[in-house]
Amino acid sequence: MEEQLKIDFEKLLENSNFSKKNAEIKRKNFDNFIEKGFPNRREENWKFSDLNQIISKNIKNLSFYNDLSKPNKIDQSIYIDGLEHNKIVFVNGRIEKIEFDYEEKNKIEILDDLVLEKSNNTTNSLLFLNNAFVSKYFKLIIKKNYSLQKPLVIYNITNKDLVSKNINLKVDIFLEENSSLKLIEFSNDKSTTNFININYNFNVQKNSILKNYKIDNNSNSNIKYCFNNISQDANSVSEIFLLSSGSEFIKNEINCNLNGKYSSAFVNGVFILNETKHHEIKTNINHIVENTKSYQLIKGVLEDTSKAVYQGKIFVDSKAQKTDGYQLSKAILLNDNTEFNAKPELEIYADDVKCSHGSASGSLNEDSIFYLMSRGLNYKEAKKLLINGFLLDVVEKITDSEIKNLIKNIMSLKQ
Amino acid sequence: MLKIKNLKADIESKSILNNFNLEIKPGEVHAIMGPNGSGKSTLSNILSGKKGYDVSGEILFENKNLFELETEERAHKGIFLAFQYPLEIPGVNTNIFLKTSLNAIRKARGEKELDAIEFLKLVKLKAKELKFDEEKLNRQLNVGFSGGEKKKNEILQMSILNPKLSILDETDSGLDIDALKIVADGVNSLRKKDNSFLIITHYQRLLDYIKPDYVHVLMNGHIIKSGGPELALELENKGYENFN
Repeated sequence: MEEQLKIDFEKLLENSNFSKKNAEIKRKNFDNFIEKGFPNRREENWKFSDLNQIISKNIKNLSFYNDLSKPNKIDQSIYIDGLEHNKIVFVNGRIEKIEFDYEEKNKIEILDDLVLEKSNNTTNSLLFLNNAFVSKYFKLIIKKNYSLQKPLVIYNITNKDLVSKNINLKVDIFLEENSSLKLIEFSNDKSTTNFININYNFNVQKNSILKNYKIDNNSNSNIKYCFNNISQDANSVSEIFLLSSGSEFIKNEINCNLNGKYSSAFVNGVFILNETKHHEIKTNINHIVENTKSYQLIKGVLEDTSKAVYQGKIFVDSKAQKTDGYQLSKAILLNDNTEFNAKPELEIYADDVKCSHGSASGSLNEDSIFYLMSRGLNYKEAKKLLINGFLLDVVEKITDSEIKNLIKNIMSLKQ
Repeated sequence: MLKIKNLKADIESKSILNNFNLEIKPGEVHAIMGPNGSGKSTLSNILSGKKGYDVSGEILFENKNLFELETEERAHKGIFLAFQYPLEIPGVNTNIFLKTSLNAIRKARGEKELDAIEFLKLVKLKAKELKFDEEKLNRQLNVGFSGGEKKKNEILQMSILNPKLSILDETDSGLDIDALKIVADGVNSLRKKDNSFLIITHYQRLLDYIKPDYVHVLMNGHIIKSGGPELALELENKGYENFN
């Protein structure tokens, strides 16, 4: 694979017109990636999901260079129906559409020729890979005191002609003071066995609100990694909801720094997995200053031989007194060959804090099924009702009612 | 309506019921009384099709072999069990559950399913009759309900589903006297010439409010004596231990 990486990287530099500075940074990142390679289970962060192994098992002849010179057609039938929204559309890693029809134009700014950051502040080899190969690095800025009228949907579409490619996306989202954004990430994959590597950086300034809904619902054979870095200033709120269901493998990693007083972060997620799917949610919530709050609720329903992993970490700095941190994970294992791994971690250096964690997994309660069947429901209906009930309370945490309804529809939870 | 012949039931090779016989005709109310561990709940579980028992003998419900029917098919045919310990089902709205249940049964019987408005009208009426707090119908099924509310909810379900044979498994336990009266009124209002009841209880108390046609004493896995309502009083006076 190293040979392929080198050929593809040179091809990329040759066929793109990166600034000298960016090309230099890219090469540095590339060298770092070559040195480290794909993460494997020897790294603590990856001990339940050996990406190196997963990639070599699922993807034959992975290649890294994509010709992005020609536009792709957008299959508009996959647009979310019944919800007015702004759009950014990626097809096979190429940006095809940016449309903010519902917004004041001078309140939103989009930059696409950014200088990449230097790589020395991370050890994450997948960020090296991303920086090395990403073709364009976007930044979306929401101006001070502006709240978007409608949600923004970032579509990440892959077509069926995309096979065994590595796709990298990098998007920064900057919310200036007193602004707010509802962002839905919606993927639709008709492609096969690609490795999709996404990096979001969110900067949430004072008094701003970020709501981020990540929908991975359509069944596909791709391997995905999404790294989300969130920095929050005073009084800011971030709310993340993950529907983790469709891809063969996806790891969502959320690194959230609560840098300002009274900032808070909510991470809620559901795994709905079947067949051989293997999904992970990894969080690092860093309480850096006092009076910050975090809340995490993760639930999973696992079938066949699927596997889910939740590694949730709450870090409390010695300065972060009056921290309120909570996390809970629960899973229903529908048969003996499924696996749920939960690793809660609390690292606390302050003494006046309130932190708790819990995790539970088990099979469906047969007595509950009997109860429902005795009322005329068949086994399948009874099971579905119980599972939906189990998942519903995570979905109920979504604070935007329109998007909550949309997600209930997507999950067929509508009662 | 219901004929049980020579029923034997074991669980993990422990005998619970043996040589159990009972016949219930349309419109009749039968009470089964017995001490703890005499097999009362096993009987109600087996009638509703709970798995996990080794059974032999015969149970005919309207001349159909019950052992050939799944739990939900028995519900479709008109068998209803009011649970001794109704289960809490988190995340499932009570109203939605009731509607799903009623329509599953109506559909299986080839009747038209009720739409939301028709259903709401029916449920409101029934809830009022049972003095059941309507607001609770919008909550998760039995979650956070008191013991009495759970039992009332069972009777509400019964009155909405309008079964042919209702089995009440210790519905009186955990009820205060007011709730007991409401529950009994609910049962009495469903007494019709085609609807039968099997009331399983420890105490004679409930039978003051629901007059049974027959009382049976269940001990050691089978009925040791049958009689009219007066048998319940006799039992109450003597206690199970001295009864034979």
